[in-house]
Amino acid sequence: MSRSPALKARGEELREEVLSFMASAPWNRTELGDAEVAFNELALRVFRYQAEAVPVYGRLVANRGVDPRELSDWRRIPPVAARAFRRFPLVAGGGGEEAAATFRTSGTTGGVEARGVHRVLDLSLYHASLLPGARRHLNPDNRALRSIILTPRPSARPDSSLIHMLGVLHREWSDGQGGFFADAEWRLDGPALLGALADAEASGASVFMAGTAFGYVHLLDLLAEAGSAYRLPPGSRLMETGGFKGRSREVARDTLYRRLGDALGIPVGRMVNEYGMTEMLSQFWETALVDPASGESEDPSDRSLVGPPWVRTRILDPYDLTEVEPGQVGLLQHLDLANLHSISAILTEDQGVEVEGGRFRVLGRRPGAEPRGCSLSMDELDQAWTTGDAGVSGG
Amino acid sequence: MAEPFRSWRLPAGADIHPDAWVMDDLELAVPTREEADRLLDQLEGAGAALRSIPARERARRLGAVGTRLADPQDPLHREALERLPAQAGLSLPVARELLDRMAPQWTPPALERLLHLEFPDPLVLDGFRPRARAGDRVRALGDPMALHVGAGNVAGVGVSSLLRSLLVGTPVLLKPGRGDVVLPILAADALGSTFPEASRALAVIYWPGKGGGALGSQGLARAGRVVVYGGMDTVQDFRSRLSPQTPLIAYHHRVSAAALGREVLEGEVARRTATAAARAVAAYDQQGCVSPHLFWVERGGAVSPESWARMLAQELEGVEALLPSLPTAEVSARVQAVRGEVELDAAMGTKTRLLAPPHAGWTVIYESEFAFEGVCGGRTARVQGVDDLEELFRHLPAVRGILQSVALACPEPRRSHVAERLVLAGAARITTLDRQPWPEPWWLHDGAGPLRALVRWAMDEGGEPPPPLGGDGPARSR
Repeated sequence: MSRSPALKARGEELREEVLSFMASAPWNRTELGDAEVAFNELALRVFRYQAEAVPVYGRLVANRGVDPRELSDWRRIPPVAARAFRRFPLVAGGGGEEAAATFRTSGTTGGVEARGVHRVLDLSLYHASLLPGARRHLNPDNRALRSIILTPRPSARPDSSLIHMLGVLHREWSDGQGGFFADAEWRLDGPALLGALADAEASGASVFMAGTAFGYVHLLDLLAEAGSAYRLPPGSRLMETGGFKGRSREVARDTLYRRLGDALGIPVGRMVNEYGMTEMLSQFWETALVDPASGESEDPSDRSLVGPPWVRTRILDPYDLTEVEPGQVGLLQHLDLANLHSISAILTEDQGVEVEGGRFRVLGRRPGAEPRGCSLSMDELDQAWTTGDAGVSGG
Repeated sequence: MAEPFRSWRLPAGADIHPDAWVMDDLELAVPTREEADRLLDQLEGAGAALRSIPARERARRLGAVGTRLADPQDPLHREALERLPAQAGLSLPVARELLDRMAPQWTPPALERLLHLEFPDPLVLDGFRPRARAGDRVRALGDPMALHVGAGNVAGVGVSSLLRSLLVGTPVLLKPGRGDVVLPILAADALGSTFPEASRALAVIYWPGKGGGALGSQGLARAGRVVVYGGMDTVQDFRSRLSPQTPLIAYHHRVSAAALGREVLEGEVARRTATAAARAVAAYDQQGCVSPHLFWVERGGAVSPESWARMLAQELEGVEALLPSLPTAEVSARVQAVRGEVELDAAMGTKTRLLAPPHAGWTVIYESEFAFEGVCGGRTARVQGVDDLEELFRHLPAVRGILQSVALACPEPRRSHVAERLVLAGAARITTLDRQPWPEPWWLHDGAGPLRALVRWAMDEGGEPPPPLGGDGPARSR
């Protein structure tokens, strides 16, 4: 199955419009003005296209009794659960067209079959969404940076959207040195990494550190073992993303940042959290670098995230999926125009709270939080299927 | 905000004054290493006095817990109902049902019956007893001290666990699950005034997570036996931290189901099974390992599996008025995600159907075939049509060790045949929908006797030699 030529042409037309919106819409939400109207119109047209181009989505929309032609508010666009990317071909053409890239969610809580799959037909939209946000929030001074990245290199993990993203940033910003310092199994290459940190410190190059929270925990372990600490040159910055997912012990974020500051000499005010998901081509960022006066410099637990102007986030009551009052906690639902050729409206299982100006804060589970009940969870069942260890023998 | 609930009770007479911290609505005790050691010394020291009371007498006196918690006039009963909804995350009617069903399991007659069913000669817990035809004497012993760990479990689990331990004469340090703090604390209060020997042998202390600081690590190091209720990760974690000579009794997470034969799928009987199924799903909001999530419904009856799914949906809506659900945000989020997947399944042209109200209070999913998946809680019932119950026996061995209870509804003699095949395929308990969420105190918990799992046996062969083998029949003279 693939899209008809006419539908493909509509997709191309919309792609140009989304790119043009990305190039012109103001980031400051208070300055949106006409762009808000333009966003709504574009979002509705993208939705109508997706309801035709992604067959299973079209049927879902029809089953819900929604007529795409009659919708007038982007908030009414039916969202799809992010979890559904594990099982359904949520892509234009229904999976019958060649994808430019196929990204998969990490398989740490499910089997290979249970991993989310995001087929991306057009990487140019991804890059057009990524670069302005990354530049604004990580490299507003737009200078050459020495990348020290704690993940596998893109060629080793072509299905990771995070690593693809870091590959693009490395290519765009690199000062010609640095690179990726983990093997395909995410194990850090200690000697090379310590060497790169020492080189950067000695040469005065501004460093762009990037990695996951658990990657940084491993880095701290490595530094502690080696008895090393660095004072990376002024102008260095650090991006942190993702959680721990059982790959290391969990460390509270403010503790992690403080210890990274001590070990690397990068001030906590120059550390930026990125929140993204495989199912979505756009990202959310903390604004510590772009807006140091926002009061976001020191305590990471007080910070909030902001997305690009082509993304909107709603906070929904998990009980009935209605919008919560401002300031109330709820599920995050995003609408991302960069997801033109898959599904724009995505319902996550993450909880968050809106702060102001379209910003929100993601509320992670408290470390050590215990699930209620003694009934087997879906993730445990996935694990049992994957490992074949369905029978943890009991007494 | 209300005064934080004190989530710990030290043994009666313990001269320990740990620092107290407040986390959300709980006050936590954080003993130092030295205090932890003294606490454990005290528990171990209380064992002799506890065991000096005969087991039958212990059962009677421990039953004060049930007597008081079951009595609506008793202040402890009232406090339980005040605290349980917030602490266990249940609506008041659901909490009341839980207390009404569980407290009678902790009364003197229930505990005495438990004792007798587990040890037909309960005197083996008090001293050596001759073993017929063996020529020896045996006895069952508790441990100097045991650590019991609940991990976010259903309210009530902790009380059953601590009573089992005290019943076999083992002092116990109980770390209750986050949702099960209230009842063990009140049980400790009940014993404090009526059974000092048991009260001195019991400590209930909640801590978040697996570690538990000095007390958690010392408790683990010194326990003669460790009982853990929890997820696969938790069980694995305890297994790796225990010394090889310490027995671990692990009640890991499991799933329960129901199987309905075509014979019961007609008229009023079908409706009654749907009513019972709805009550079983609603009991303590489907959080137990005995709560049914999957319903295998046979085709060929007057009521089709899909129609029965619709009946179940109606009944769940009816139960909602009686026993309102109170899903947490996490559970609701999971329910919404699963509903989204089911909608897409239907959009893909499968026969899967979502039967659910706009809110996440309950969900019925109809599927046209067997699938052991998608257990998400929050009163979510997956009704799966099967051509014949025989199908189950092909699929179930793959989930051996995960399947807990199967409520089986079909008439004899087929019932016995299916029951036999289900247990061969790994089910630990065959039951009815009415009884499914409320196992008796003497149930073979995950396949083992609940008290027998907590003792070690010792023998004395110094008596008469055993009679010769083959002498078990009537004596023959020549």
